[in-house]
Amino acid sequence: MSSTSPSPRISIYGDHAVIVDWETDGFSESVNDTVHSLAAKLRESGNYIEVVPGYDSLVCVFDLAARSVDSTKRHIEDLLARSAQTSNQTGQLVEIPVHYGGKDGPDMEMICKSAKLSADGVIALHSKVKYRVCMMGFIPGFTFLSPAPEKLHHPRLATPRAKVPAGSIGIANWQTGIYGLESPGGWQIIGRTPLSIFDVKRKTPFLLNAGDRVRFIPQ
Amino acid sequence: MTITVLHSGTQTLIMDAGRPGHRHQGIPGGGAADKLSFAIANHLVGNAWDAPALECALGGLHIRFNEPYTIAISGAQMWSQNQGLNLALNKAVQVEAGDILTMSFTRAGCRSYLAIAGGIKAKPFMGSVSTYLPAKLGGLNGDPLKTGDVLDIGKPQGDVRSLPKGHIPLLSNHIVLRAAQGPEYNALSDGSKRYLFTTPFYATTATDRMGSRLKGDAVTLDTELKMTSSPLLPGSLQIPPDGQPILALADGHCTGGYARSLQVIQADLWLLGQIAPGAAVSFRRSLPEEAEIILRGKNSYYADLIPGFSF
Repeated sequence: MSSTSPSPRISIYGDHAVIVDWETDGFSESVNDTVHSLAAKLRESGNYIEVVPGYDSLVCVFDLAARSVDSTKRHIEDLLARSAQTSNQTGQLVEIPVHYGGKDGPDMEMICKSAKLSADGVIALHSKVKYRVCMMGFIPGFTFLSPAPEKLHHPRLATPRAKVPAGSIGIANWQTGIYGLESPGGWQIIGRTPLSIFDVKRKTPFLLNAGDRVRFIPQ
Repeated sequence: MTITVLHSGTQTLIMDAGRPGHRHQGIPGGGAADKLSFAIANHLVGNAWDAPALECALGGLHIRFNEPYTIAISGAQMWSQNQGLNLALNKAVQVEAGDILTMSFTRAGCRSYLAIAGGIKAKPFMGSVSTYLPAKLGGLNGDPLKTGDVLDIGKPQGDVRSLPKGHIPLLSNHIVLRAAQGPEYNALSDGSKRYLFTTPFYATTATDRMGSRLKGDAVTLDTELKMTSSPLLPGSLQIPPDGQPILALADGHCTGGYARSLQVIQADLWLLGQIAPGAAVSFRRSLPEEAEIILRGKNSYYADLIPGFSF
């Protein structure tokens, strides 16, 4: 794991989970690297019901009848201490075609205004970055990505939309992400991909996993 | 071997023990919201505790049996009749081909479980047939039951069983949940810390399998938190800026952005499934050391009776 990550706090979450969290100022790629490599090791151990990585934290759920809080904490401390160097190049690189603006990106104008850029400028900026999939959730397939370039940062809509189509690509403050399913949502939508991020009928329902890299290809 | 849905009621879903292990992909474990009552219903008809059964919220389910079956209903105290005759809850009963079962209103609790010997057959997704409505997973094409649905029933596996009276949970419309500290508990004001453990909240009509918005005096934070979206668990009590807590339930979001003030202990998670709109909900403080003892006690109470089941 990256040696630049400060040491995290490891604390109990209720009675049957442990949360590991890092003090960060905004997004830290090295912390997120550590989160994912720790998550992979915890999951590998097979001792836990759920291992859920976040941007700068990780929650590990166990059966309190089978494991104690202390043994879980010790396991996490051990893993953190033992792995001084791990490649942060985990996951695959996935290219995502995007139709920016127009019907697919109703909030493009808003972002152009706040970024003081033309639509082409916004597209160039947004698609330049190789993003990391920092976490999945809050609904299946919702992809939380690493920060968008600073010029594009924009608060959420004051009133969330009742329906955001699946595949929509949005911005919320420094976060950018993809709606895996149609759902209500308050992110500023600048484009949409025809790929389905989550498809029950596909052999591998998920196109993306936490730790993957994503590059947007304007169409 | 089938049953026919004549009326689906408020909401009836096919459930089993859920699909744990996928929260990192945004998929909640889900499954029977009240795992204990679900296990009891299955146990009574001779099924494995986690066989697929019907979860009926708040009543209204009418079913026609197309062959004779052994059935049992557990969970919410729901007024149920077969062919117009009152049906005992928490007891295996025999129904005949053509019989019509009606499950009406609930007196206490929220969800009843109808288990049928042999279990309900459905196509599993990620190892579970449990219905998860937001992504249309499990069940019959991911939908709640509707009038005219015909469900396939499996072959009965075991003998009919009974349970000693003391093992049947007593539900009321005041749900008391033991809870330990959540990650942001210390951000709460002192007054709110006390208040959370002393005064009942009320479940509003914004209550479903995903969560329950509670109503009460506003819960306040001492420090304003700038939270990035973080992992969230069923039984977590989140405090949004308006101070009205949201309790995450079985199908709760996998991540959230509000302060996680309390976490319901593992031994009491089954009760989350019995929170009906309008019910009073209280939290009682539990220390982690105590929670472990409570869990061991409850597990051992049922271990010899229901093979494989644990809280």
